[in-house]
Amino acid sequence: MIAPYLELARAHALVLVVAAPLCGAALLLVLPSGRLGWLVAVAAAVGAAALACDFSARALLGGAPLGIFSVTPIDRPDGVALFAIPIVTCASAVALIAAGAQLRDYNARAAPFALALTLCVGAGWTGALLARDFTGLFLAGEAAWLAATGLVALGAEKDRGGLNAALRMLVAGGMSAALMLLGIGLIVRSIGSVDLAALPIAQIAASGPASAGAGLILLALALKASLAPFHLWSGAAQGRASALGAIVIGAVGAAGALAVMTRMAAFAIPAPAIGGGVSAALAGMGAASVVIGSLQAIGAGNLRRLVAYAGAAQAGIVLLGVALGSPAGFAAALIQLGALAAAAMAVLAGLAAAGGGAALGALDGLGRRAPLSSLAITAGALSLMGAPLTIGFLGRWRVIEAALGAGWWWAAGAVIGASLAGVFYGGRLIERLYFRRAASALEGRRDPWRLALAPALAAGILGIAIGVAPGVLLLAADAAASQLAGEAS
Amino acid sequence: MRVEIALLAILAAPLLQALAVLAFSRPPGLRDTVNVVFAAAIAGLALFLVGAVSGGHGARVVLARPLPNIDLAFAVEPLGALMAAVIAGLGVLHAVHTTGIVRAMQEKGPARLMAFLALSTAATMAVAFSANLFSLFVAYQALTLTAFPLVAHRGDADAARAARVFLATLLASSIGLFLPAMVWTYSVAGALDFQAGGVLAGRVDALTANVLLALFVFGLAMAAMPPMHRWLTAASSAPFPALVSIQALTVLPAGGIGLLKVAAFVFGPALHDAAIAARAIIALAGIGMCVAAMIALSKQDLRERLAYSCMAQSLAVVVGVLLALPAGLFAAALQVVATSCAVATLMMAAGTVAAVTGRHNAMDYEGLGRVMPWTLAGFALACASMIGMPPFSGAWAKLWLITASAGAGMLWAAVLLGLAAALTFAHLGPLAANALSGPAPTDAFKRPDGASILLVAPVVLGAAATLWLLVLANPLALFLSPVWTPRP
Repeated sequence: MIAPYLELARAHALVLVVAAPLCGAALLLVLPSGRLGWLVAVAAAVGAAALACDFSARALLGGAPLGIFSVTPIDRPDGVALFAIPIVTCASAVALIAAGAQLRDYNARAAPFALALTLCVGAGWTGALLARDFTGLFLAGEAAWLAATGLVALGAEKDRGGLNAALRMLVAGGMSAALMLLGIGLIVRSIGSVDLAALPIAQIAASGPASAGAGLILLALALKASLAPFHLWSGAAQGRASALGAIVIGAVGAAGALAVMTRMAAFAIPAPAIGGGVSAALAGMGAASVVIGSLQAIGAGNLRRLVAYAGAAQAGIVLLGVALGSPAGFAAALIQLGALAAAAMAVLAGLAAAGGGAALGALDGLGRRAPLSSLAITAGALSLMGAPLTIGFLGRWRVIEAALGAGWWWAAGAVIGASLAGVFYGGRLIERLYFRRAASALEGRRDPWRLALAPALAAGILGIAIGVAPGVLLLAADAAASQLAGEAS
Repeated sequence: MRVEIALLAILAAPLLQALAVLAFSRPPGLRDTVNVVFAAAIAGLALFLVGAVSGGHGARVVLARPLPNIDLAFAVEPLGALMAAVIAGLGVLHAVHTTGIVRAMQEKGPARLMAFLALSTAATMAVAFSANLFSLFVAYQALTLTAFPLVAHRGDADAARAARVFLATLLASSIGLFLPAMVWTYSVAGALDFQAGGVLAGRVDALTANVLLALFVFGLAMAAMPPMHRWLTAASSAPFPALVSIQALTVLPAGGIGLLKVAAFVFGPALHDAAIAARAIIALAGIGMCVAAMIALSKQDLRERLAYSCMAQSLAVVVGVLLALPAGLFAAALQVVATSCAVATLMMAAGTVAAVTGRHNAMDYEGLGRVMPWTLAGFALACASMIGMPPFSGAWAKLWLITASAGAGMLWAAVLLGLAAALTFAHLGPLAANALSGPAPTDAFKRPDGASILLVAPVVLGAAATLWLLVLANPLALFLSPVWTPRP
């Protein structure tokens, strides 16, 4: 009986992956606060994630022609969208499930807003990945950013520093919006169209304004993706946000913004007039982010800040793959994007489940007291180190392979340097978890809702352990990259 | 039993051993029995695999395929089987000795200690049976992570510091040097599988071969090649069971095995293309051997003295591997075997002495042989093997090394080997002689009942093991010949 409705949903998947979370968010504002709202939010997010995984699997692995999605103006998703949307929607769904254990961080009035804003973050970045033109990309991205800012601000009820963090995000978002609008204006004027697909094939008379426009757009997205040195907001935001806010910013937001940036680069690099410059800019940005992020992560004394800075280093590796401009480079970048999301989810969910503070000392002896949380944090740390058989190793290997193939020895060296740095800051986490004694007893909560964090922990661990048998992931990444190459030619 | 099953069993058995020791940690008798029984089973499996290889049987198992054309795979071949048999055989003695040491020294966390010893053994077996560079890299990393808790076992600030040095040195070198070399090899050869005759043969120019060789040698820091040797000296403060494991059974031998596999199965004849790097590294290793032996002479703490002595022995393996001759590879393999036997015996003897008398310094060993004759006799025999005195196994290994050096036209390397042997005599010979011939101390024992058989028997048997190469050198050469003989 429900089969026809499922087929209808599948046929309109591209609309529903954005509409379902937004409808869920709207519904939350009228529902009475509490667990019912949480259930609605989870249903909306899980539904969107299921649809996203389904259509991506069909498009990338099942060979379904993209034409079947030509129902609405949002059609013909590109390879980056097909690969990244499941990551963003799944991360959003897992974050919302985990929110069941974290609603106590908000009062009764604020909890529905927190859930609604989380849904909006996921929907916003998904919309940006599906947007056909610069306008849609800008609007969806800004919506996601504002929702994330609101989520961080809501955390100020417990920690007044959350307001400071939200203000930083607001300023960064404003700068980003201004840069993006300026960049869009220059690009649209140069190519004569607002369509993203027009960029690779446009006859660009004056490459200067077009290059500047592309650069400004990428710079704006780099700000949102927390790439160093434009990540001044992320340490404070993650450090001061609630546990839910940290997961949303660190996993969902970071992956979404980086995916949109990858998508933008996929359109810009094939353009003959501006491609070389865009590639060079991305390479420089990526290298800088790897170095700065790694150094800051080594020196971080706060766990959430460490995750933020490590995320910047990981994002830099993604950009190095993108900058190569080859199908191998894009495939590698997409895998590394998945690694970034998985590691962030594992570590942040583990921290949330452990319930301790954000200082590094809070990890001391946690291995005995909270084994599952410690396992998740360990898995995340191993992935950040690039330990073999983790998705982190897989991503780095593919980027190094692609870089060596293109003769970019320095890029391969940067990735290896990031892994070396990961040994230091990831190793520090593992040492504290298992080889130090706790300074004080863990004040555990006997709250059955803590079980809601289990899926986040499991998702983080499994997302990293996929490095053992990544056949499907590699196939999907290669298919996505091939589609990008096919669309560019 | 099928060879594939035996291969999987020898990889899994130490993991089960670790779990069993933790599960049956009380009463202590049960824990110790479980530990020894598993060690014996692992030794039995290793002997079975040696028999299988002798009979011309092989096996390869693939556990995962994490990358295109790259498997996490393990294979039975002569070199790995031999090393596994030696390590597993000595492991039985070590397991018995550990039961005695943890009781005599009231070692804290004995079950956890035994568990990590078992996990380290599992990782070392994985190194020995690795079928390609990726599997070797994974096993190497696993060994680093499982041996690290052994160094940190005591839990004090010194142990924590030492463990950090251990972990940082090994991980940094493997990720910073070995990993790029592995990726580069993959980009050149398109595959990482080990093959007799070398996967790089005929595929690399001189510059690439030289750089790759340097990356591999310094990336495999477990071989204690300076300046990547700091982990070995830092680990000398670990408990005695951990020291036996790290220096004789797991970490240090794994470095030698890894280098042997890289030289034989990755480079093969391409080592000749890397002659510049090879000669430079041989010179560095030779000088390092002599300097390590001299530093050992200056150390009074026996653990530190033996750490530097082990370093000198391990560098002899590096020399043999890089001579680019089948004789050099054979000599290096013999050196790994001889060093494992001798170091295990030395460390177990030192542990017995420390447990029974509380003595750690070389000057305090004078005359101990008169009150602990069996232990110090074993100690002396092991010293003789380390020095290279016939008929002990170390002599045959060094003889082959010197012969191979001369055959490669590097008489200077042979001179350095001889000089290192002389310096080894200087820091071990008088020590053993004084222990056996000095006047008996009157207040030797801190325990009224002296050393138990659990502490003495493994030392004696280990010393006996230093003699077996006397009769097995030629059969071993035949057994190992497929390693450097490409299949038609």
